[in-house]
Amino acid sequence: MREVWVVGAASNRYGKLAETAREAATRVAAEAIRDAGLEPKQIGHTFVANCFGLTEHQAHVGPLINNGLGIPEVPSVTLESACSSSSAALHEAFVHVAGGFADAALVVGAERLGHLDTMSATGYFAYAADYPFETKNGATFPGLYATLADAYRHAYRTTPEMFGAIAVKNHANAARNPHAHFQKEISMQTYLDSPMIASPLRLYDCCPFSDGAAAMVVAAPDAFPRPANEPLVVRASVRTGAVTALQDRSDLLGLPSTQRAGKEAFRRAGLEPRRIDFLEVHDCFTIAEALALEDLGFFPRGSAARESLEGTTARDGRLPVNPSGGLKAKGHPVSATGAGQVVEVFEQVNGRAPGREVPRTGTALTHNVGATGGSCTVHIFSRR
Amino acid sequence: MPPPSIDVPSGPHSVEAFVRGYENDRLLRGFRCPKCGTLTATWGLACSRCGTAPLEEATLNGRGTIVAGTIVQVASDEFVNDAPYAYVLVELEGGGRLSGWIPQVRDAAEIAPGTPVRFAPSYKPGVQFERVLPSSTTASER
Repeated sequence: MREVWVVGAASNRYGKLAETAREAATRVAAEAIRDAGLEPKQIGHTFVANCFGLTEHQAHVGPLINNGLGIPEVPSVTLESACSSSSAALHEAFVHVAGGFADAALVVGAERLGHLDTMSATGYFAYAADYPFETKNGATFPGLYATLADAYRHAYRTTPEMFGAIAVKNHANAARNPHAHFQKEISMQTYLDSPMIASPLRLYDCCPFSDGAAAMVVAAPDAFPRPANEPLVVRASVRTGAVTALQDRSDLLGLPSTQRAGKEAFRRAGLEPRRIDFLEVHDCFTIAEALALEDLGFFPRGSAARESLEGTTARDGRLPVNPSGGLKAKGHPVSATGAGQVVEVFEQVNGRAPGREVPRTGTALTHNVGATGGSCTVHIFSRR
Repeated sequence: MPPPSIDVPSGPHSVEAFVRGYENDRLLRGFRCPKCGTLTATWGLACSRCGTAPLEEATLNGRGTIVAGTIVQVASDEFVNDAPYAYVLVELEGGGRLSGWIPQVRDAAEIAPGTPVRFAPSYKPGVQFERVLPSSTTASER
Protein backbone atom coordinates (compact mmCIF):
# COMPACT_ATOMS: atom_id res chain seq x y z
CA MET A 1 0.00 0.00 0.00
CA ARG A 2 1.39 3.41 -0.99
CA GLU A 3 1.54 6.37 1.38
CA VAL A 4 -1.17 8.94 0.61
CA TRP A 5 -1.05 12.68 1.24
CA VAL A 6 -3.63 15.45 1.17
CA VAL A 7 -1.82 18.05 -0.95
CA GLY A 8 -4.39 20.79 -1.57
CA ALA A 9 -7.72 21.88 -0.10
CA ALA A 10 -10.41 24.51 -0.52
CA SER A 11 -13.82 25.47 0.82
CA ASN A 12 -16.39 28.14 0.18
CA ARG A 13 -18.22 29.97 2.92
CA TYR A 14 -21.02 27.81 4.30
CA GLY A 15 -24.44 29.39 4.52
CA LYS A 16 -26.95 30.07 1.82
CA LEU A 17 -25.56 29.54 -1.66
CA ALA A 18 -26.69 31.68 -4.56
CA GLU A 19 -25.46 28.98 -6.95
CA THR A 20 -26.24 25.30 -7.47
CA ALA A 21 -24.28 22.54 -5.72
CA ARG A 22 -22.82 21.69 -9.13
CA GLU A 23 -21.41 25.18 -9.60
CA ALA A 24 -20.11 25.41 -6.02
CA ALA A 25 -18.51 21.96 -6.24
CA THR A 26 -16.77 22.79 -9.52
CA ARG A 27 -15.47 26.10 -8.15
CA VAL A 28 -13.98 24.64 -4.92
CA ALA A 29 -12.60 21.66 -6.86
CA ALA A 30 -10.75 24.03 -9.22
CA GLU A 31 -9.40 25.92 -6.20
CA ALA A 32 -8.24 22.73 -4.47
CA ILE A 33 -6.43 21.53 -7.61
CA ARG A 34 -4.77 24.94 -8.01
CA ASP A 35 -3.89 24.93 -4.30
CA ALA A 36 -2.18 21.57 -4.79
CA GLY A 37 -0.08 23.05 -7.59
CA LEU A 38 -1.53 20.57 -10.07
CA GLU A 39 -3.37 20.76 -13.39
CA PRO A 40 -6.86 19.23 -13.65
CA LYS A 41 -5.58 16.72 -16.21
CA GLN A 42 -3.30 15.23 -13.52
CA ILE A 43 -6.39 14.02 -11.61
CA GLY A 44 -6.89 10.30 -12.15
CA HIS A 45 -10.32 9.88 -10.53
CA THR A 46 -12.95 12.18 -9.04
CA PHE A 47 -15.01 11.20 -5.98
CA VAL A 48 -18.07 13.40 -5.50
CA ALA A 49 -20.37 13.47 -2.48
CA ASN A 50 -23.88 14.81 -2.95
CA CYS A 51 -27.00 13.54 -1.13
CA PHE A 52 -29.77 15.89 -2.05
CA GLY A 53 -29.04 16.66 -5.70
CA LEU A 54 -32.48 15.34 -6.59
CA THR A 55 -34.02 18.38 -4.85
CA GLU A 56 -32.12 20.40 -7.48
CA HIS A 57 -33.32 18.02 -10.23
CA GLN A 58 -29.75 16.76 -10.66
CA ALA A 59 -28.39 13.25 -10.24
CA HIS A 60 -25.05 11.96 -11.58
CA VAL A 61 -23.34 15.29 -10.91
CA GLY A 62 -19.80 13.83 -11.00
CA PRO A 63 -19.32 13.97 -14.78
CA LEU A 64 -20.77 17.50 -14.87
CA ILE A 65 -18.11 18.65 -12.38
CA ASN A 66 -15.37 17.01 -14.42
CA ASN A 67 -16.81 18.59 -17.61
CA GLY A 68 -16.69 21.96 -15.86
CA LEU A 69 -13.05 21.39 -14.90
CA GLY A 70 -12.15 20.57 -18.50
CA ILE A 71 -11.48 16.89 -17.80
CA PRO A 72 -14.62 15.10 -19.07
CA GLU A 73 -12.68 11.90 -19.79
CA VAL A 74 -11.69 11.45 -16.10
CA PRO A 75 -13.85 8.85 -14.33
CA SER A 76 -16.06 9.99 -11.47
CA VAL A 77 -18.47 8.45 -9.03
CA THR A 78 -21.11 10.31 -7.05
CA LEU A 79 -21.68 8.69 -3.69
CA GLU A 80 -24.01 9.07 -0.75
CA SER A 81 -23.47 8.16 2.89
CA ALA A 82 -25.79 10.74 4.48
CA CYS A 83 -23.81 13.23 6.60
CA SER A 84 -20.61 11.19 6.16
CA SER A 85 -20.70 11.31 2.34
CA SER A 86 -17.54 13.30 1.66
CA SER A 87 -15.44 11.48 4.27
CA ALA A 88 -16.60 8.30 2.53
CA ALA A 89 -15.47 9.90 -0.75
CA LEU A 90 -12.07 10.62 0.83
CA HIS A 91 -11.84 7.01 1.96
CA GLU A 92 -12.53 5.82 -1.61
CA ALA A 93 -9.93 8.23 -2.98
CA PHE A 94 -7.45 6.97 -0.37
CA VAL A 95 -8.13 3.37 -1.38
CA HIS A 96 -7.61 4.20 -5.08
CA VAL A 97 -4.35 6.10 -4.54
CA ALA A 98 -2.97 3.74 -1.89
CA GLY A 99 -3.81 0.77 -4.12
CA GLY A 100 -2.10 2.27 -7.14
CA PHE A 101 -5.24 2.79 -9.23
CA ALA A 102 -4.63 6.55 -9.40
CA ASP A 103 -1.67 8.81 -8.58
CA ALA A 104 -3.89 11.76 -7.67
CA ALA A 105 -7.61 11.91 -6.92
CA LEU A 106 -10.08 14.74 -6.39
CA VAL A 107 -12.54 14.63 -3.47
CA VAL A 108 -15.37 17.12 -3.53
CA GLY A 109 -18.53 17.36 -1.47
CA ALA A 110 -21.33 19.83 -2.06
CA GLU A 111 -24.86 20.32 -0.81
CA ARG A 112 -27.62 22.80 -1.34
CA LEU A 113 -30.72 22.80 0.86
CA GLY A 114 -31.27 26.55 1.16
CA HIS A 115 -33.92 26.50 -1.58
CA LEU A 116 -36.12 24.33 0.70
CA ASP A 117 -38.17 25.58 3.64
CA THR A 118 -37.42 24.28 7.17
CA MET A 119 -40.27 21.76 7.03
CA SER A 120 -39.15 20.12 3.78
CA ALA A 121 -35.48 20.23 4.81
CA THR A 122 -36.43 18.53 8.12
CA GLY A 123 -38.25 15.91 6.06
CA TYR A 124 -35.30 15.29 3.72
CA PHE A 125 -32.89 14.95 6.66
CA ALA A 126 -35.23 12.41 8.29
CA TYR A 127 -35.09 10.22 5.18
CA ALA A 128 -31.53 9.27 6.22
CA ALA A 129 -33.05 7.36 9.17
CA ASP A 130 -34.95 4.07 8.69
CA TYR A 131 -38.06 5.39 6.93
CA PRO A 132 -40.74 2.79 7.83
CA PHE A 133 -39.34 2.00 11.30
CA GLU A 134 -38.23 5.45 12.51
CA THR A 135 -39.24 8.37 10.29
CA LYS A 136 -42.78 7.18 9.67
CA ASN A 137 -43.21 6.71 13.43
CA GLY A 138 -42.48 10.38 14.06
CA ALA A 139 -38.69 10.59 14.11
CA THR A 140 -36.96 13.72 12.92
CA PHE A 141 -33.18 14.02 12.75
CA PRO A 142 -33.08 16.27 15.84
CA GLY A 143 -35.64 13.93 17.45
CA LEU A 144 -33.34 10.92 17.11
CA TYR A 145 -30.33 12.72 18.62
CA ALA A 146 -32.68 14.16 21.27
CA THR A 147 -33.56 10.58 22.18
CA LEU A 148 -29.84 9.83 22.64
CA ALA A 149 -29.48 13.05 24.67
CA ASP A 150 -32.46 12.00 26.82
CA ALA A 151 -30.81 8.65 27.59
CA TYR A 152 -27.50 10.42 28.34
CA ARG A 153 -28.93 13.03 30.70
CA HIS A 154 -30.84 10.41 32.68
CA ALA A 155 -27.81 8.10 32.90
CA TYR A 156 -25.28 10.76 33.93
CA ARG A 157 -27.48 13.47 35.50
CA THR A 158 -26.04 16.20 33.31
CA THR A 159 -27.11 19.85 33.35
CA PRO A 160 -28.15 21.94 30.32
CA GLU A 161 -25.07 24.13 30.94
CA MET A 162 -22.76 21.20 30.09
CA PHE A 163 -24.23 21.01 26.59
CA GLY A 164 -24.47 24.78 26.41
CA ALA A 165 -20.70 24.91 26.92
CA ILE A 166 -20.22 22.88 23.73
CA ALA A 167 -22.43 25.28 21.76
CA VAL A 168 -20.78 28.40 23.22
CA LYS A 169 -17.28 27.01 22.50
CA ASN A 170 -18.09 26.04 18.89
CA HIS A 171 -19.72 29.41 18.18
CA ALA A 172 -16.62 31.16 19.57
CA ASN A 173 -14.44 29.14 17.18
CA ALA A 174 -16.72 29.72 14.18
CA ALA A 175 -16.65 33.47 14.85
CA ARG A 176 -12.98 33.31 13.79
CA ASN A 177 -13.54 31.13 10.71
CA PRO A 178 -14.22 32.88 7.38
CA HIS A 179 -15.76 29.62 6.03
CA ALA A 180 -18.34 29.45 8.84
CA HIS A 181 -22.10 29.81 8.45
CA PHE A 182 -22.46 31.48 11.88
CA GLN A 183 -19.63 33.93 12.52
CA LYS A 184 -20.90 35.13 15.86
CA GLU A 185 -20.35 34.19 19.47
CA ILE A 186 -23.27 33.29 21.72
CA SER A 187 -23.56 33.53 25.50
CA MET A 188 -24.66 30.77 27.84
CA GLN A 189 -27.81 32.79 28.52
CA THR A 190 -28.60 32.98 24.80
CA TYR A 191 -28.20 29.20 24.66
CA LEU A 192 -30.44 28.61 27.69
CA ASP A 193 -33.10 31.03 26.42
CA SER A 194 -33.30 29.46 22.96
CA PRO A 195 -36.49 27.52 22.13
CA MET A 196 -36.78 23.73 22.31
CA ILE A 197 -36.56 21.95 18.95
CA ALA A 198 -36.83 18.41 20.33
CA SER A 199 -36.38 18.16 24.11
CA PRO A 200 -33.76 18.29 25.59
CA LEU A 201 -32.26 19.86 22.44
CA ARG A 202 -32.65 23.62 22.18
CA LEU A 203 -32.17 25.62 19.00
CA TYR A 204 -28.51 26.24 19.89
CA ASP A 205 -27.87 22.53 20.42
CA CYS A 206 -28.59 22.00 16.72
CA CYS A 207 -26.50 22.53 13.61
CA PRO A 208 -28.06 24.71 10.92
CA PHE A 209 -29.21 23.64 7.48
CA SER A 210 -26.26 24.95 5.46
CA ASP A 211 -25.30 25.04 1.82
CA GLY A 212 -21.64 24.62 1.09
CA ALA A 213 -18.84 22.92 -0.79
CA ALA A 214 -15.40 21.63 0.17
CA ALA A 215 -12.72 19.82 -1.79
CA MET A 216 -9.25 18.35 -1.53
CA VAL A 217 -6.67 16.61 -3.68
CA VAL A 218 -5.03 13.43 -2.43
CA ALA A 219 -1.88 12.16 -4.09
CA ALA A 220 0.84 9.57 -3.77
CA PRO A 221 4.17 11.13 -2.76
CA ASP A 222 6.06 8.69 -4.98
CA ALA A 223 4.29 10.26 -8.00
CA PHE A 224 4.20 13.85 -6.68
CA PRO A 225 7.20 14.17 -4.35
CA ARG A 226 7.29 17.99 -4.15
CA PRO A 227 3.97 19.24 -2.76
CA ALA A 228 3.05 22.93 -2.98
CA ASN A 229 1.88 22.92 0.66
CA GLU A 230 2.73 21.14 3.88
CA PRO A 231 0.89 17.89 3.16
CA LEU A 232 -1.26 15.85 5.54
CA VAL A 233 -0.02 12.29 5.73
CA VAL A 234 -3.05 9.98 5.90
CA ARG A 235 -2.11 7.70 8.79
CA ALA A 236 -5.50 5.94 8.90
CA SER A 237 -8.67 5.98 6.81
CA VAL A 238 -11.39 3.82 8.36
CA ARG A 239 -15.06 3.27 7.56
CA THR A 240 -17.50 1.33 9.73
CA GLY A 241 -21.19 0.47 9.76
CA ALA A 242 -23.71 -0.36 12.48
CA VAL A 243 -27.38 -1.13 13.06
CA THR A 244 -29.29 1.95 11.93
CA ALA A 245 -32.53 2.06 13.92
CA LEU A 246 -31.95 3.24 17.50
CA GLN A 247 -34.52 0.78 18.85
CA ASP A 248 -32.40 -2.10 17.58
CA ARG A 249 -29.32 -1.02 19.57
CA SER A 250 -28.83 -2.26 23.12
CA ASP A 251 -26.69 0.76 24.09
CA LEU A 252 -27.94 4.32 23.59
CA LEU A 253 -24.97 5.91 25.42
CA GLY A 254 -22.64 5.81 22.43
CA LEU A 255 -22.43 5.09 18.70
CA PRO A 256 -20.99 1.62 18.05
CA SER A 257 -19.78 2.62 14.58
CA THR A 258 -17.68 5.44 16.11
CA GLN A 259 -16.27 3.13 18.79
CA ARG A 260 -15.08 0.63 16.21
CA ALA A 261 -13.84 3.21 13.71
CA GLY A 262 -11.81 4.97 16.41
CA LYS A 263 -10.25 1.79 17.72
CA GLU A 264 -9.31 0.60 14.23
CA ALA A 265 -7.95 4.01 13.18
CA PHE A 266 -5.67 4.23 16.23
CA ARG A 267 -4.48 0.68 15.57
CA ARG A 268 -3.64 1.41 11.93
CA ALA A 269 -1.96 4.73 12.77
CA GLY A 270 -0.03 3.12 15.62
CA LEU A 271 -1.10 5.96 17.92
CA GLU A 272 -3.05 6.40 21.12
CA PRO A 273 -5.68 9.08 21.71
CA ARG A 274 -3.31 11.10 23.93
CA ARG A 275 -1.00 11.60 20.92
CA ILE A 276 -3.68 13.53 18.96
CA ASP A 277 -3.15 17.30 19.03
CA PHE A 278 -6.61 18.43 17.88
CA LEU A 279 -9.87 17.05 16.54
CA GLU A 280 -12.71 17.83 14.21
CA VAL A 281 -15.64 15.65 15.36
CA HIS A 282 -19.20 15.22 14.16
CA ASP A 283 -21.26 17.61 16.31
CA CYS A 284 -24.52 17.83 14.37
CA PHE A 285 -25.97 18.31 17.86
CA THR A 286 -24.08 19.10 21.07
CA ILE A 287 -24.82 15.59 22.39
CA ALA A 288 -23.05 14.19 19.32
CA GLU A 289 -19.78 15.95 20.26
CA ALA A 290 -19.96 14.51 23.80
CA LEU A 291 -20.67 11.00 22.50
CA ALA A 292 -17.89 11.24 19.89
CA LEU A 293 -15.24 12.23 22.44
CA GLU A 294 -16.23 9.32 24.68
CA ASP A 295 -16.63 6.77 21.88
CA LEU A 296 -13.22 7.70 20.41
CA GLY A 297 -11.60 7.14 23.81
CA PHE A 298 -10.62 10.72 24.69
CA PHE A 299 -12.78 10.88 27.84
CA PRO A 300 -14.44 8.26 30.07
CA ARG A 301 -18.15 7.68 29.48
CA GLY A 302 -20.41 10.33 30.90
CA SER A 303 -17.64 12.92 31.35
CA ALA A 304 -17.21 14.68 27.99
CA ALA A 305 -20.00 17.23 28.51
CA ARG A 306 -18.53 18.09 31.92
CA GLU A 307 -15.05 18.50 30.38
CA SER A 308 -16.47 21.01 27.90
CA LEU A 309 -17.85 23.10 30.75
CA GLU A 310 -14.36 23.08 32.30
CA GLY A 311 -12.74 24.35 29.08
CA THR A 312 -10.72 21.22 28.28
CA THR A 313 -11.91 21.22 24.65
CA ALA A 314 -11.52 24.95 23.99
CA ARG A 315 -9.12 26.11 21.28
CA ASP A 316 -6.45 26.80 23.93
CA GLY A 317 -7.47 23.88 26.15
CA ARG A 318 -5.71 20.56 26.70
CA LEU A 319 -7.56 18.98 23.74
CA PRO A 320 -8.90 21.47 21.16
CA VAL A 321 -12.10 20.09 19.61
CA ASN A 322 -13.71 21.60 16.52
CA PRO A 323 -11.53 24.69 16.12
CA SER A 324 -13.46 25.30 12.87
CA GLY A 325 -16.68 25.78 14.84
CA GLY A 326 -17.86 22.28 13.95
CA LEU A 327 -21.11 21.31 12.29
CA LYS A 328 -22.79 23.18 15.12
CA ALA A 329 -21.58 26.65 14.12
CA LYS A 330 -19.37 26.36 11.03
CA GLY A 331 -22.41 24.66 9.52
CA HIS A 332 -23.50 21.32 8.14
CA PRO A 333 -23.82 21.23 4.34
CA VAL A 334 -24.40 17.46 4.60
CA SER A 335 -22.21 16.17 1.77
CA ALA A 336 -19.53 18.86 2.18
CA THR A 337 -19.12 18.39 5.92
CA GLY A 338 -16.56 15.57 6.05
CA ALA A 339 -14.32 17.17 3.41
CA GLY A 340 -14.68 20.49 5.23
CA GLN A 341 -13.30 18.93 8.42
CA VAL A 342 -10.15 17.97 6.52
CA VAL A 343 -9.95 21.48 5.02
CA GLU A 344 -9.77 22.76 8.62
CA VAL A 345 -6.93 20.36 9.48
CA PHE A 346 -5.10 21.37 6.28
CA GLU A 347 -5.49 25.08 7.05
CA GLN A 348 -4.35 24.63 10.67
CA VAL A 349 -1.26 22.70 9.56
CA ASN A 350 -0.44 25.23 6.83
CA GLY A 351 -0.83 28.29 9.04
CA ARG A 352 -3.95 29.42 7.21
CA ALA A 353 -6.22 29.65 10.26
CA PRO A 354 -5.33 33.08 11.62
CA GLY A 355 -7.18 33.95 14.84
CA ARG A 356 -8.21 30.37 15.53
CA GLU A 357 -4.86 28.55 15.62
CA VAL A 358 -4.57 25.53 17.85
CA PRO A 359 -1.33 25.25 19.88
CA ARG A 360 -0.03 22.01 18.33
CA THR A 361 -0.63 20.66 14.80
CA GLY A 362 1.50 17.53 14.64
CA THR A 363 -1.42 15.09 14.52
CA ALA A 364 -5.16 15.47 14.00
CA LEU A 365 -8.23 13.26 13.86
CA THR A 366 -11.43 13.83 11.88
CA HIS A 367 -14.66 11.99 12.71
CA ASN A 368 -17.74 12.05 10.51
CA VAL A 369 -21.02 10.19 11.15
CA GLY A 370 -23.73 9.14 8.69
CA ALA A 371 -27.12 10.01 10.24
CA THR A 372 -27.31 8.43 13.72
CA GLY A 373 -24.31 6.18 13.18
CA GLY A 374 -25.33 3.69 10.50
CA SER A 375 -22.05 4.82 8.92
CA CYS A 376 -18.91 6.35 10.37
CA THR A 377 -15.55 7.55 9.06
CA VAL A 378 -12.41 8.31 11.06
CA HIS A 379 -9.22 9.71 9.55
CA ILE A 380 -5.95 10.34 11.38
CA PHE A 381 -3.42 12.72 9.86
CA SER A 382 0.09 13.74 10.76
CA ARG A 383 2.81 15.99 9.41
CA ARG A 384 5.57 14.48 7.30
CA MET B 1 -29.26 -26.29 -13.14
CA PRO B 2 -27.08 -26.72 -10.05
CA PRO B 3 -28.63 -25.82 -6.71
CA PRO B 4 -27.70 -22.37 -5.35
CA SER B 5 -24.50 -22.50 -3.32
CA ILE B 6 -25.85 -20.23 -0.59
CA ASP B 7 -29.15 -20.40 1.18
CA VAL B 8 -31.16 -17.30 0.34
CA PRO B 9 -33.83 -16.93 3.00
CA SER B 10 -37.21 -15.39 2.35
CA GLY B 11 -38.63 -12.91 4.86
CA PRO B 12 -41.75 -14.07 6.69
CA HIS B 13 -43.48 -10.75 5.99
CA SER B 14 -42.90 -7.57 4.04
CA VAL B 15 -42.55 -3.96 5.21
CA GLU B 16 -45.98 -3.37 3.69
CA ALA B 17 -47.41 -6.22 5.79
CA PHE B 18 -45.90 -4.63 8.93
CA VAL B 19 -47.58 -1.30 8.11
CA ARG B 20 -50.92 -2.97 7.23
CA GLY B 21 -50.64 -4.99 10.45
CA TYR B 22 -50.60 -1.99 12.78
CA GLU B 23 -52.89 0.15 10.63
CA ASN B 24 -55.67 -2.38 9.95
CA ASP B 25 -55.22 -5.49 12.06
CA ARG B 26 -54.14 -3.96 15.42
CA LEU B 27 -51.17 -6.25 15.18
CA LEU B 28 -47.45 -5.52 15.65
CA ARG B 29 -45.64 -7.91 13.35
CA GLY B 30 -42.01 -8.67 14.05
CA PHE B 31 -39.21 -11.16 13.65
CA ARG B 32 -37.57 -13.53 16.12
CA CYS B 33 -34.04 -14.85 15.69
CA PRO B 34 -34.17 -18.64 16.14
CA LYS B 35 -30.59 -18.63 17.47
CA CYS B 36 -30.12 -15.64 19.80
CA GLY B 37 -33.80 -14.87 20.42
CA THR B 38 -33.57 -11.21 19.36
CA LEU B 39 -36.99 -9.73 18.67
CA THR B 40 -37.38 -6.77 16.33
CA ALA B 41 -39.93 -5.06 14.15
CA THR B 42 -37.28 -3.87 11.68
CA TRP B 43 -37.47 -5.67 8.35
CA GLY B 44 -34.59 -7.90 7.30
CA LEU B 45 -33.65 -11.36 6.08
CA ALA B 46 -31.15 -12.08 8.85
CA CYS B 47 -30.65 -11.18 12.51
CA SER B 48 -28.90 -7.82 12.87
CA ARG B 49 -27.26 -9.06 16.09
CA CYS B 50 -25.90 -12.51 15.16
CA GLY B 51 -26.48 -12.87 11.40
CA THR B 52 -28.70 -15.95 11.66
CA ALA B 53 -31.21 -16.54 8.85
CA PRO B 54 -33.99 -17.16 8.22
CA LEU B 55 -35.91 -15.30 10.91
CA GLU B 56 -39.16 -16.54 12.38
CA GLU B 57 -42.48 -14.73 12.31
CA ALA B 58 -43.34 -13.11 15.65
CA THR B 59 -46.01 -10.93 17.15
CA LEU B 60 -44.70 -8.14 19.35
CA ASN B 61 -46.44 -7.30 22.60
CA GLY B 62 -48.12 -3.90 22.45
CA ARG B 63 -47.36 -3.09 26.09
CA GLY B 64 -44.09 -1.76 27.33
CA THR B 65 -42.16 1.03 29.03
CA ILE B 66 -40.39 4.09 27.65
CA VAL B 67 -36.59 3.78 27.37
CA ALA B 68 -35.93 7.30 26.08
CA GLY B 69 -37.82 9.94 24.16
CA THR B 70 -38.30 13.54 23.13
CA ILE B 71 -40.98 16.14 22.63
CA VAL B 72 -40.74 17.10 18.96
CA GLN B 73 -41.54 20.80 18.48
CA VAL B 74 -40.29 21.17 14.91
CA ALA B 75 -41.80 18.40 12.80
CA SER B 76 -41.23 17.23 9.26
CA ASP B 77 -43.97 17.74 6.67
CA GLU B 78 -45.67 14.41 7.50
CA PHE B 79 -46.24 15.40 11.16
CA VAL B 80 -46.46 19.16 10.85
CA ASN B 81 -50.07 19.34 12.04
CA ASP B 82 -49.34 17.10 15.05
CA ALA B 83 -46.48 19.04 16.69
CA PRO B 84 -45.70 19.13 19.51
CA TYR B 85 -45.85 15.39 20.06
CA ALA B 86 -43.72 12.75 21.80
CA TYR B 87 -41.37 10.39 19.94
CA VAL B 88 -40.37 7.47 22.13
CA LEU B 89 -38.38 4.23 22.17
CA VAL B 90 -40.34 1.53 23.96
CA GLU B 91 -39.04 -1.66 25.60
CA LEU B 92 -41.85 -4.14 24.94
CA GLU B 93 -43.03 -6.72 27.44
CA GLY B 94 -41.74 -10.08 26.25
CA GLY B 95 -38.82 -8.52 24.38
CA GLY B 96 -37.95 -6.21 21.51
CA ARG B 97 -38.01 -2.46 21.20
CA LEU B 98 -40.16 -0.32 18.95
CA SER B 99 -40.26 3.39 18.14
CA GLY B 100 -43.51 5.27 18.02
CA TRP B 101 -45.21 8.57 18.66
CA ILE B 102 -47.69 9.81 21.24
CA PRO B 103 -49.98 12.67 20.22
CA GLN B 104 -50.68 15.68 22.39
CA VAL B 105 -47.89 15.19 24.90
CA ARG B 106 -46.13 18.51 25.51
CA ASP B 107 -44.08 17.93 28.66
CA ALA B 108 -40.93 15.78 28.72
CA ALA B 109 -41.77 14.79 32.33
CA GLU B 110 -44.71 12.80 30.94
CA ILE B 111 -42.39 10.51 28.97
CA ALA B 112 -39.74 9.85 31.63
CA PRO B 113 -37.88 6.52 31.33
CA GLY B 114 -39.97 3.71 32.80
CA THR B 115 -43.32 5.27 31.90
CA PRO B 116 -45.76 2.48 30.91
CA VAL B 117 -47.29 2.75 27.43
CA ARG B 118 -49.29 0.60 25.07
CA PHE B 119 -49.77 0.36 21.32
CA ALA B 120 -52.76 2.52 20.32
CA PRO B 121 -54.23 1.68 16.91
CA SER B 122 -55.08 4.90 15.08
CA TYR B 123 -56.09 6.24 11.70
CA LYS B 124 -52.95 8.44 11.75
CA PRO B 125 -49.72 7.18 10.12
CA GLY B 126 -46.95 5.51 12.08
CA VAL B 127 -46.86 3.30 15.15
CA GLN B 128 -48.72 5.16 17.85
CA PHE B 129 -48.53 4.62 21.60
CA GLU B 130 -50.56 5.96 24.49
CA ARG B 131 -49.50 6.36 28.08
CA VAL B 132 -51.06 3.89 30.50
CA LEU B 133 -52.36 6.03 33.33
CA PRO B 134 -53.23 4.38 36.63
CA SER B 135 -57.00 4.15 37.29
CA SER B 136 -58.06 5.91 34.12
CA THR B 137 -59.79 4.59 31.04
CA THR B 138 -57.95 5.25 27.82
CA ALA B 139 -59.40 6.03 24.42
CA SER B 140 -59.00 2.52 23.04
CA GLU B 141 -60.89 0.98 25.98
CA ARG B 142 -63.90 3.26 25.98
